[in-house]
Amino acid sequence: MIKLKNINKIYNLNKNDTVHALKNINFSINEGELVILKGSSGSGKSTILSLIAALNKPTSGEVIVDGKQISKLPDNFASLYRRDNIGFIFQKYNLIADISVKENILLPLIPLNPKEEEVEKKLNMVMHQFKIAHKKESLVRNLSGGEQQRVAIARANVNNPKIIIADEPTANLDENLSLHFIEILKELKFQGKTIVVATHDPLFFGLDFVDKEVEVTNGTINL
Amino acid sequence: MILVPEVLTILILNFIFMLFASIAFFLSLKIFLKWDISSNSTLQYTLEKQSYLTATIIKYIFIIKLPLFLFFIFTLDRLSHILTGAMCGAGVVDATDYGNYLFVLKILNLYIFAYWLALHSEDMKHENQPYTKAKFGLFIVAFFLFISELILEGVMFSSIDLNELVSCCGTIYSSSANSYISKIFAINPSVLITTFYINFFFIVLFYLLKRSYLFAIVNIFFILISIITLITFFGTYIYELPSHHCPFCFLQSDYYYVGYLLYLLLYIGTFYAIAVGFIKTQEQTKHSNFNKSMLFTFLYVVLVSLYPILYYIKNGVWL
Repeated sequence: MIKLKNINKIYNLNKNDTVHALKNINFSINEGELVILKGSSGSGKSTILSLIAALNKPTSGEVIVDGKQISKLPDNFASLYRRDNIGFIFQKYNLIADISVKENILLPLIPLNPKEEEVEKKLNMVMHQFKIAHKKESLVRNLSGGEQQRVAIARANVNNPKIIIADEPTANLDENLSLHFIEILKELKFQGKTIVVATHDPLFFGLDFVDKEVEVTNGTINL
Repeated sequence: MILVPEVLTILILNFIFMLFASIAFFLSLKIFLKWDISSNSTLQYTLEKQSYLTATIIKYIFIIKLPLFLFFIFTLDRLSHILTGAMCGAGVVDATDYGNYLFVLKILNLYIFAYWLALHSEDMKHENQPYTKAKFGLFIVAFFLFISELILEGVMFSSIDLNELVSCCGTIYSSSANSYISKIFAINPSVLITTFYINFFFIVLFYLLKRSYLFAIVNIFFILISIITLITFFGTYIYELPSHHCPFCFLQSDYYYVGYLLYLLLYIGTFYAIAVGFIKTQEQTKHSNFNKSMLFTFLYVVLVSLYPILYYIKNGVWL
């Protein structure tokens, strides 16, 4: 389903501060798989995620998702691809602090302009699934770290995307909340989502429901 | 050089355009020569990024240039107040050897710019960007015409001599004038009017038959015949003067600036027709362009036809 072929990513190409972030990467992720990208900071994990999400383009090589080469998509088509296929969970959640939980979760639906009943249905579904319904009208700034994490997960799933991408999702959580997040991942995997997590949190290593652990070291990978 | 604020504005903008267009030109050249959408090389990815930047530069230059043409006309009109003998923009255009060439070049460029914008818009609707090479190739050609226009414009403004007496439009647009314009007055007006309405009939016919290529061709002829009939026939009814044929005076407040409306209707109508014929678009876009073209052309024909009809109703005679 997701295929990276001969991927190189060089930041600041032809400048003095060139960084060769990914070096000839080749690997694939099948539909419904949960893949952990592990490695230290600066190893290239987030760059791989940004390429899969079409947030960035490689310097050379191909990123193919469902048979479509997304690395060649013009910006407007890349946005549509993200809107329809990708759910993001960021390290710092990237929520808007001054609006409510409900409004944050609904943000990905705005470009789709759905009907009101459909919005309510989707909203209630994800809020119950991720146990945040009781905070529906609360401002995000008044939530705890764990609650903010759940809002971020609900927002990533409100569009029912096929692919969930999480970048260091437990970096700001304590162990209990991290374990709870791992449970949520397990649930999402059994719902058939393809999940790619970049992390250096040891809690993610050796889990029985993880399909692949990929070690990213200095821009190269060890499967 | 007449450095009135309007001329200064045009010259400063031209300088900025020239700077950005030159950057876009070199990038376009590179894209045109090396573009290969099937490649996954570093060069191709670099070209893809540069194509967004280049297209954005060109798009904004052209988008600004379109209304700037109206400002140019407005400037000519303003300059006519300080040139001895000039009654409207026609006198300013005729004041130097470059005015008429500049005017024709500007009109040609307007169609090329709009065509480029339509091509770009269509290109961005497809994932594989099928028109990228074509649109940057077109820009390479357009760049030379564009730069010629900017230079010619500078030369024209710098060659206007305030101490020299210029001709007024009544002299320039008359059968006695010794210019190529005077030759159109030798043609019988009824022949021209018949040709105008027959041309319009074919536009309607090809619109109904949805024959895009023929629709575009007859519209190109329509640009020419419309301008000729505006000068020789319809203009006289706008002025209600049988001997006044100027295509500039009706841009003035005395005639409620109707000239701007007429030229805009004609330009938009014919441009969409050209887009229908010469850009391969999705059926829905084509259908919409057909309709837009027909609507604007129809409004133009109705508006110019109203002047003689109303004159006849009011006075019971033709001019």
